[in-house]
Amino acid sequence: MELHRHSLKITLSVWRALLLRESLSRLAGRSAWFWLIAEPVLHMVVLSVLFAVIRQRHVGGIETVIWLVLGLQGFFLFRRTANQMAGAIDSNRALFTYRQVTPTDTVLMRGVLEALLMMIVLSVIFFGLYLLGYDILPDDPLGLLEAFTGLWLLGVALGLIVSVGAELAPEFRQIINMIMMPLYFISGVLLPIANIPEPYQSWLTINPIVHGLDGARLAFAPYYHSVRGLSMPYLHICAIVGIVIGLILHRRFADFMVTK
Amino acid sequence: MIVVDDIYKRYRTEHGPGRWILEGASFTIPTGVSVGLVGRNGAGKSTLLGIIGGVDQPTRGAVTRDCRVSWPMGFGGGLQGSLTGRQNTKFVCRIFGRESDIEDIIEYVQDFAEIGSYFEEPVKNYSSGMKARLQFALSLAFEFDVYISDEITSVGDTAFKKKAGQAFKDLLGKSSLIMVSHGESTLREFCDSGVWLHEGRAHWFDKVDDALSAYRESLA
Repeated sequence: MELHRHSLKITLSVWRALLLRESLSRLAGRSAWFWLIAEPVLHMVVLSVLFAVIRQRHVGGIETVIWLVLGLQGFFLFRRTANQMAGAIDSNRALFTYRQVTPTDTVLMRGVLEALLMMIVLSVIFFGLYLLGYDILPDDPLGLLEAFTGLWLLGVALGLIVSVGAELAPEFRQIINMIMMPLYFISGVLLPIANIPEPYQSWLTINPIVHGLDGARLAFAPYYHSVRGLSMPYLHICAIVGIVIGLILHRRFADFMVTK
Repeated sequence: MIVVDDIYKRYRTEHGPGRWILEGASFTIPTGVSVGLVGRNGAGKSTLLGIIGGVDQPTRGAVTRDCRVSWPMGFGGGLQGSLTGRQNTKFVCRIFGRESDIEDIIEYVQDFAEIGSYFEEPVKNYSSGMKARLQFALSLAFEFDVYISDEITSVGDTAFKKKAGQAFKDLLGKSSLIMVSHGESTLREFCDSGVWLHEGRAHWFDKVDDALSAYRESLA
């Protein structure tokens, strides 16, 4: 065995090991794959049927189903990432027996795994829509990537902050669960924010998720009527500021989290 | 060599900081010397082992290690309940950067632990004895200069105790041990020196027998 491994090398091997360990627990069991894909698909189907019943064929100039899929999956990407990361430390406590493994490693790797899983889920959904005859080619693929990356990073930021918060006070995670529900409604997943009159629209666009979801829709179809003042940099800056805060908290409470 | 320098440790409780468990513990373990830790329940033996092993942080003070120290073995720590024995073994191989000989290590662990088909079952279904077997096999699969044992031998059955004892004996010479045990004969068998933990302080004895008698006198 090597006497001295470089710290970076150790971290990379820990990340690799954690990523494999997390994907095992996430995908083990007969129904794991089913639920992974079924949850977003069921949401999508139920809502599409609802919109079909009220005969809303288009929202803001694009087809309802595409509009819904982008909103729902974008929001799920954010929510699942944040939720999974928030629970990482608790599920991996036994592994802190090895001093190479730090709580921050476990949180970050859950975020990465969630991004990979959501990529698979999205591909399956888009392939399904393609088979159903929808036009699934985005007008601006890079813009779509930019919007979804921003939403993922925002989830990472929230996950990092909540994972530390939950160590300091376990009640913290409950509060997050509580705000997720209203957040779902004010982020423009079901309700086109662009149709909301001023000054309320400006208030709602303080929420960076709105920019991510409408950004994704605009990237799909350039003629989409998005919210006013749509800004990708705003989404990314919010996410990066959040990630920096989260990492600082992880640094500050590093000892606190392992010695609990 | 391991230098424990003026370690203070207290844990947080529901009502703020708890009482001091270690108050200024200092000693130096020379290379190749096996040490037994003695002291009554709650004296801070496991806490000190965790700090030496680098998995716990002292409130004040520092530990300097210039050798490869194992993780503390004992009480099922270090095994992820939802993963099987094999998956746990692979995980540990990976974090130690030993992916290249993963098959050999698995074979060794499987052989040594002797838990049969349970090796393919989630660790949460194991008895405490089986966990101890797996943990012990895992740490022996990697070469360390110092092995930390927190009563790992006390949970197993006679056969396992015998095997663990033999393994410890084989280790002595190329590696050393830091162990906590309430079995005096175990300590005498494997340890050269002793540390007696009493009221937050550590008392070093060059002979483990002296540590044991000091401990016994304090109880009388």
